[in-house]
Amino acid sequence: MIEKSAEIMVNVENLNVKFGDKQVVHNVSFQVKSGEIIGLFGISGAGKTTIIRVLTCQLNKKNWNGNVKVTDLNPAQSKNHPKILSNIGYVPQLEGLNLYYELSPMTNVEIFASTYGLKKKNAKEIAKELFSILDIPEDTWKKRLKKLSGGEKKRVSVAIGLIHQPKILFLDEPTTGVDAAKRYEVLSYLKKLNRKLGTTMFLITHDMEAALICDKSAILRDGKLLEFDSNDNLIASLPSGGLLTRLTIEDLTENKIKIIKNFTPVQKTIRVGNEIIEVFIEDFEENLQKLIEYTIKNNLKVTSMSKDNATFRRYFQIRIQEEEEKERTLRESVQIMEGEA
Amino acid sequence: MYLSGLIRKEFSRIKADKRTLILIFTIPVILIVIFGLTSGGGPTEFYNAAIISRDKIPYETPEFPVESNSTLNYDDIFIDVVEDDCSAWGLIESYSCDNEEEYDDAFEECFELLRNEIIDVFIILEEDFSETIENETDTTLTYYIDGSDLEAVDAIDVAIQEPIGLFKIKARKTANFVIMVPYLEYEVPFWETQVLNYALSIVLSMLILGLLMNLTSLSIVSEGPLPRMMLTPTAKKEIILSKLIANSIIMLLQVTIIFAMSAIFGMFSLGSLFSLYLILIAIGFCGICIGLFISSISKTEQQANQIYIMLFIALLMFSGSFLRMDTLPLAMQVIINALPLSHAVPLINEVTKKGLPIDLFHFFSLNLISLGFIIGAYIAYRFKKVEV
Repeated sequence: MIEKSAEIMVNVENLNVKFGDKQVVHNVSFQVKSGEIIGLFGISGAGKTTIIRVLTCQLNKKNWNGNVKVTDLNPAQSKNHPKILSNIGYVPQLEGLNLYYELSPMTNVEIFASTYGLKKKNAKEIAKELFSILDIPEDTWKKRLKKLSGGEKKRVSVAIGLIHQPKILFLDEPTTGVDAAKRYEVLSYLKKLNRKLGTTMFLITHDMEAALICDKSAILRDGKLLEFDSNDNLIASLPSGGLLTRLTIEDLTENKIKIIKNFTPVQKTIRVGNEIIEVFIEDFEENLQKLIEYTIKNNLKVTSMSKDNATFRRYFQIRIQEEEEKERTLRESVQIMEGEA
Repeated sequence: MYLSGLIRKEFSRIKADKRTLILIFTIPVILIVIFGLTSGGGPTEFYNAAIISRDKIPYETPEFPVESNSTLNYDDIFIDVVEDDCSAWGLIESYSCDNEEEYDDAFEECFELLRNEIIDVFIILEEDFSETIENETDTTLTYYIDGSDLEAVDAIDVAIQEPIGLFKIKARKTANFVIMVPYLEYEVPFWETQVLNYALSIVLSMLILGLLMNLTSLSIVSEGPLPRMMLTPTAKKEIILSKLIANSIIMLLQVTIIFAMSAIFGMFSLGSLFSLYLILIAIGFCGICIGLFISSISKTEQQANQIYIMLFIALLMFSGSFLRMDTLPLAMQVIINALPLSHAVPLINEVTKKGLPIDLFHFFSLNLISLGFIIGAYIAYRFKKVEV
């Protein structure tokens, strides 16, 4: 079903990106509605940044094709660039790319505000509001940025991205380089901003925890979009709707994993630790007891067992694993065919 | 165009950067003070000489018999003139050689004196010295100068006319000629700080050009958030323009300080001070344009620093102050003419020493060079791969 155009912030249809002979993005299509937080997940080289570079007018049209609209404007036309750039905000991975450390947070936001034609007074008001939402202490507003903590710098960087009240905010690895405790803090601030300002957000990240605040996640691998859906839907698509059992097995070997895999109701296994394996089974409640009996019968020493719901991290792992297996099988069959020929 | 915000940003950054502030305002003052304090006196105007006379006296041939009242020891007269009568000359040693062996020894000694800078020149009075003077035929005066000091070579060429002139008067051989150069035209008056003022054209151009190049050569390449600025509606031309404007305002302040400090230390200008000020501004502007060019073609700060140093050395070498332009091949002259100092130095010289108005050819050439560099800077930045 085609969404109402007014609600669509980003529309990407059949996007292909090529650098010379190398195709780095293959037929990617997705739609993003106003106010959504989208997570772009994928390992390095998956094409996340390239897609964002198309959306943020950084990539020359000669390198890409497809029907792309950002706030209803086509980035292929350079005359649209100033308008698109006015409608979007960008928070780079490294604060050094966004901040003048020798200046204060307030001066920093004023500088960027001026590039959008915002008056100083107006910029100050917006900055104050953003600083308050982001809990940047008032006594640091006029201090040199280099004296602020890493987390505060990150938040000032986010404030700069939002100073002109953009419709869409792109955040490149917003939690990279932030310690574990602060990671959740950064994510919760982003969610808070999204709720208060209604800004559509794109999170380009390796950090699976970021999925916690995402309405939809895109999983990319080798320039292909594998999935684009809400996390709940993605997890629900796993066997047993994402229900799994976590087993700790003494001296876990590949052979023992194979034995578990041979149990018919087992649909998927994933090793998550030295002696820990997560198992997805068909008709979970019904087959769990049978699995226990099966392990005893096969002399597998299970020292602990728990039931859990799959996380997005697990979904991502499984999906990427599946893809790798598919490729391996394909490669093997090609090799066999070549051998036969 | 949101230039005002970008210009404000440039000022905020400079204000917050102590290194830049020192570079802009303190370094030129310190340099001028040091130069002013250490540049008392004037250029070398006194030459120490040695004279080797090979003159055969008394000279007599059947065609020219020696007359009783004839004064044929003209070499002694010449030696006396150099020793006692010249204001710019002093005699360190004189030799009278009757044979080749004596001459060779004297020559060796003089050669050593010259090498040790005890003398600036040694003069040979040839065997027919007195004969030619007496007969008023052509006299050959041979002199050896320390060629490692090109300026001294030129200066002695002029100064040698003093003993020659005085000798002619003293020897009463003034009928046909007297060559005297009583003073140099367009020289800095002796009561002014001569070293400072003779060096002013190259020192001021070098100082202003170098400082401004240094100030701006990192301004693009070291500004981390600049690529991010490209994700705002700001255009690249606005970035270059804002840097040009902000740095030009700072340059005006800097040039004023340098101008004032030079005046305090005895800057001499025969021509209009306003013209001189305008020239200095044009040089400063050129420095900014070259600096921005360096910054926009460089990928890293280190690269920018290296290019800056290399370019600055090249600009100095081919400023026309160290290598005489007219002695160089035509292609080299064209290259030198495309560099700023070859126009800046004569511009200052003509105004300060000759009192001439601004030479329009040099002035427009200098501005044309600036324009070339700033267009180059824009083109380089326009096509520079900028990614966030």
